[in-house]
Amino acid sequence: MTPFLKLWSRYVRLTARWPSIASFVPFIPVIALWWLVTALEVFPRAFLPGPAEVWSAFKSLTYKGVLPDYLQDSMVRLAVGALWGIALGIPLGLLIGMSKRAHTALWPVLLFFQAIGDIAWLPILVIWFGYGLVTMTVVIVYTVIFPVVLNTVLGVRSIHVNMHRAALSLGASRLRVLWEVVLPGALPNIVTGLRNGLGYGWRALIAAEIIVGTSGIGFMMFDARRAGSVVEILLGMIILGILWYIVDSWILAPIERATGQRWGLVSR
Amino acid sequence: MHLLQRLSSALLFLLPFAVLLTLWAVLVPYFNINPRLFPTLGSVIEAGIESVRDGSLPAHIGASLMRVLVGTVLALFVAIPLGVLMGVSQVTSTFLTPLFRSFSVLAGIAWIPIASLWFGYGFGAITFIIFNAVFFIVTYNTLLGVSTIPREVRNAAASLGAGRVAMLTEVLLPGALPNIVTGIRTGLGFAWRGLIAAEMIATNVGLGYMLFVARDFYRTEVIVLGMIVIGVLWLLLDRLVLAPLERATVERWGMVQRA
Repeated sequence: MTPFLKLWSRYVRLTARWPSIASFVPFIPVIALWWLVTALEVFPRAFLPGPAEVWSAFKSLTYKGVLPDYLQDSMVRLAVGALWGIALGIPLGLLIGMSKRAHTALWPVLLFFQAIGDIAWLPILVIWFGYGLVTMTVVIVYTVIFPVVLNTVLGVRSIHVNMHRAALSLGASRLRVLWEVVLPGALPNIVTGLRNGLGYGWRALIAAEIIVGTSGIGFMMFDARRAGSVVEILLGMIILGILWYIVDSWILAPIERATGQRWGLVSR
Repeated sequence: MHLLQRLSSALLFLLPFAVLLTLWAVLVPYFNINPRLFPTLGSVIEAGIESVRDGSLPAHIGASLMRVLVGTVLALFVAIPLGVLMGVSQVTSTFLTPLFRSFSVLAGIAWIPIASLWFGYGFGAITFIIFNAVFFIVTYNTLLGVSTIPREVRNAAASLGAGRVAMLTEVLLPGALPNIVTGIRTGLGFAWRGLIAAEMIATNVGLGYMLFVARDFYRTEVIVLGMIVIGVLWLLLDRLVLAPLERATVERWGMVQRA
């Protein structure tokens, strides 16, 4: 046990100095296991190719220029959809969280439309807007907006009513309460919502690309499935994971650090 | 009085929908919208009655619900114990959080191509997708819930002499429950979504399949009917199963004030 603990303490010190190491070291055993399973041929090669084959597929697809193009298409779609979703979602969430009347009028409708789900909209969106950026954007906005709104409402409602009262009795205006009590109080939840929303927006994008796509990572994966080529499917999945890591740790995690930890909600 | 109160809150819940339906019934004929773009209320009701009569709608609903039930129950049985187990120890939770975070993003739809190759088109692939969608997000949320319990609370319980079992049942599980329930709710929401996507691609029965086939024939009334059925089913699930669950946990622990 002691050598293990020693190793662990070294690992902890290392990750304390370079936190980004902590996010990919856990994958080393996973990749080793994957390599081992494929090397022992537990499953047929055609069902589960090894890391080396996926790597060579990555190189050849990058060389041909297919992969960079598809990647760019997917990222642009996600960015456009996410921005719209955030811009619409946070104000809506604040409104529903703060106003009882808005809650009565909008909450049931919101639940219903969330229940329909972005993907169920795909068939009719294709009829309305055809195969293209508009359909994709609508689907992503639709996915991003619900987690953001629901979490914002949860955040607003989890602020203790005494906070409102304290601020009001100290003479704060409604706008000031919104800016200095509600928004900061709900911020950790909003960020959680954003994180969820983007993660699932990403997923909706993949679904949209699989079902109605003509380009993008999702399209690449489904095209490979038609051809029965597992290598490219796995490559697509890994790229999705890495891309999410980049979005999450370069954009979302800093935001979360600036909110959640500042407000003392996560103990490190 | 109590009954009256419940009745009025139910009415209040339904009121926004009545407004929407009225708008639909009035606006679509008024602007003379092409039925290939958006159906009238009447044609959707007709399509509903017809599909119930020929038994196709109940068959689709039954198939979809069965898949969700099997996948979700399997996933919860594995995910919650695993999440608690990993969250208890600082070592495993810091080590495994990045793994579960990336897998919970990959979960569901990204697995459709490979699941349909491994399991073939049908029940296996779709149940796998649902299991996947619920499992990773519930595990991740449980992990998060357990590891965000303030250290002081755990230390206090330990210094008061709580054993492992008492710690689990009186500190860790209650503390993580709001997160677990949120996880179940989002996980199921997205499993439901994954189900629809998987059914569009990988099967020949189910609600997603019904939508996708209708699109090929520009039968918007069937598409809208399917969307409404999907929405209503989820709402029922949410109101009758998940919301009471949340009330019993999140609100009990004083995290949300009742509206």
